[in-house]
Amino acid sequence: MAIVTEYYLLLSAAVFCIGLYGILTRESALLFLMSVELMLNAANINFVAFAFYWGNLTGQVFSLFTMALAAAEVAIGIGIILVLYRNFDGIDVTEAATMRW
Amino acid sequence: MTSRPRLATEVNYVNGIAALALFGVLAYVFVTAGLEPPRGFGEGSIVASIGYAMFDMLDLVPDAHGNTEGFLVAFLTIAVVLDAALDGAVMLARRDDEGGSVQAATDGGQPLDEVDDAPTGADAGTTGGDA
Repeated sequence: MAIVTEYYLLLSAAVFCIGLYGILTRESALLFLMSVELMLNAANINFVAFAFYWGNLTGQVFSLFTMALAAAEVAIGIGIILVLYRNFDGIDVTEAATMRW
Repeated sequence: MTSRPRLATEVNYVNGIAALALFGVLAYVFVTAGLEPPRGFGEGSIVASIGYAMFDMLDLVPDAHGNTEGFLVAFLTIAVVLDAALDGAVMLARRDDEGGSVQAATDGGQPLDEVDDAPTGADAGTTGGDA
């Protein structure tokens, strides 16, 4: 008996909303990055769930590419956080309110 | 002194209500969607099919799952994107003011100025950069 797709969707919505909650409430850039990862992985859960739903591996292969994209995003994001820390002596995103300093 | 995880108290909880409301809407939509039972995958190795699909060689595998598409172009695009991300991360992490290599602040847990015999590798790196 396979798990019905609605449960996967509920899990994905929960993970996405946890990520959204983190972005809306926190001020640390590192926690922002973690929250964006949560939202991205919620999309991955949907890809895999609907690949199983349609009996088609396209979603699973695409979720692999999404993970690679997430790795690239984290590499750039941590670089940006490094520059943020260097220029503002902290990683609070509310302090970096201007494009130039 | 060690630090431990603490409950965040300076968090703006009011904004988080929007995330909870979004979850409510999404959960309502998903539960009332009325999806059919999943078809599932047939016989054959799923991992092998993923590998063949990644390189656009699904005609080689006899029992391909469904009508999975080929992903060779996406694979190459992601390879280029990962390479660009590596270059971008190195570019962002490089200090502008110092041309030479950055010396590590600690060596095995103790600060470098407390180490009697300073590692020659780091010194050689900085002097080489200055010269």
